[in-house]
Amino acid sequence: MALEDRWLHPVAGPDEVRAPEQARDEEVLLLAVARGDQAAFAALYDRIGSLVHGIVRRVVRDPAQSEEVTQEVMVEVWRSAVRFDPDRGSARTWILTMAHRRAIDRVRSEQASRNRTQRVADQHYARDFDEVSERVEVSFEHEQVRTALSTLTDLQRQAVELAYYQGYTYREVAELLDTPLGTVKTRMRDGLIRLRDALGVA
Amino acid sequence: MSSYPDLHTLTGAYAVDALPEDERVLFEAHLAVCGACEQEVQELQATAARLGAISVAGPSAGLRGRILTEIDAVRQERPEPVVEAPVEKLAARRAVPRWVANGLGIAAALLLVAVGGLAAVVASLQGQVANLEVIAGTAEQTSAELGAVTERLADLERRTVDAPVLTSSAVTDVLAAPDVVTVSVTHDDLLGRVVASPTRGEAVFIAEGWEPAPHEHTYVLWLITPDGAVPAGLFDPDDQGRATRVMTGDVARATAVGITIEPEGGSPVPSDEPMMTLQLG
Repeated sequence: MALEDRWLHPVAGPDEVRAPEQARDEEVLLLAVARGDQAAFAALYDRIGSLVHGIVRRVVRDPAQSEEVTQEVMVEVWRSAVRFDPDRGSARTWILTMAHRRAIDRVRSEQASRNRTQRVADQHYARDFDEVSERVEVSFEHEQVRTALSTLTDLQRQAVELAYYQGYTYREVAELLDTPLGTVKTRMRDGLIRLRDALGVA
Repeated sequence: MSSYPDLHTLTGAYAVDALPEDERVLFEAHLAVCGACEQEVQELQATAARLGAISVAGPSAGLRGRILTEIDAVRQERPEPVVEAPVEKLAARRAVPRWVANGLGIAAALLLVAVGGLAAVVASLQGQVANLEVIAGTAEQTSAELGAVTERLADLERRTVDAPVLTSSAVTDVLAAPDVVTVSVTHDDLLGRVVASPTRGEAVFIAEGWEPAPHEHTYVLWLITPDGAVPAGLFDPDDQGRATRVMTGDVARATAVGITIEPEGGSPVPSDEPMMTLQLG
């Protein structure tokens, strides 16, 4: 499948050990983009474009639509770079948060929630998730996240994964997992807090 | 804002984009005034980004060129746009615009009144309403809050048009009012929604799917009253096309809300027929 050929080796790998430098470089580039520096934008795209596309592909799935969304996200990065505030988080978080939001918006506008609900009810959720996972080169980052995810309770992990990777609202997640709304909200929060601590996110 | 315990628990769902649209707007209103939640959201968004960063996919080779070509023609947002509040400029008496005098029927064919939308919002906020009623029931406190809100709005409006300017107390106060009505209009994929409490004389405007206003222009909200159009605040959609505004002015006197595009700083009167009209009641 041509699709699989497009899954490249991660940009992270051993470089991830130098995460602080990487984060600083991305921040410098994004701040330059905010001043209208197109070369900096191209460099930023080369560093982070495959991460943006990875997250978008994972949520949107359809290759053609994913490219559209990735393009939208990167153009939005260019357009609104001036809003990036280094005091409020890293450049990578700012961009990937935007990418995820856009991907979710696309999924929600494209698919009736009932269809998606049905899809998960048919137990396709676990298989989809693993299929995608297997295409991704195992990296340092990937291992770290997998390890952190394994520290969550089943309900925490399912709630976080269904929302983040599949684009379900917490109401849909509650329905899918046959769990009260309040519980799902709480599990998403305490699951993420546990992940935050396990990953050492400041 | 310890008086809204339920809102605090939404940080996780917000960070993974799991809130339905209405709740997302409301939670962002809360974020604007709750430092603890804002801090937690920043951390949980950084955590969520780590979940995203394990998926690496190279887009097609042509995408890079297409993006670089596109940005060449895309104007960047400028830092710290300074826009004066139109309300202050517009204090003087103004003529009744033709479209107001005409009886407000211009966009009638486009109106979609969706009272049901409110039910969804209120249902989603059930847990918070109890808390809010305690607050809303105390007249002095509410009045003091509104005074503070008004000050804050005026201040924020002077400084920026980009941030969704609102406070959660004002928004949720309106939503918790017993006589609240919701009017929604969808026109060319633009959604405008007014949640209003006539007895309280307050209203919140919510926009979804809006393009940025043209260069050096801004969207202006008008309360259409028997005496003419009264400016009720301006808004600029965020990068997701959304905006939420607590409207200024006495909504109890208004029969409709109109939206026009005006030069930055506003106009003494609406300069054109409204691009969208929301009939109240």
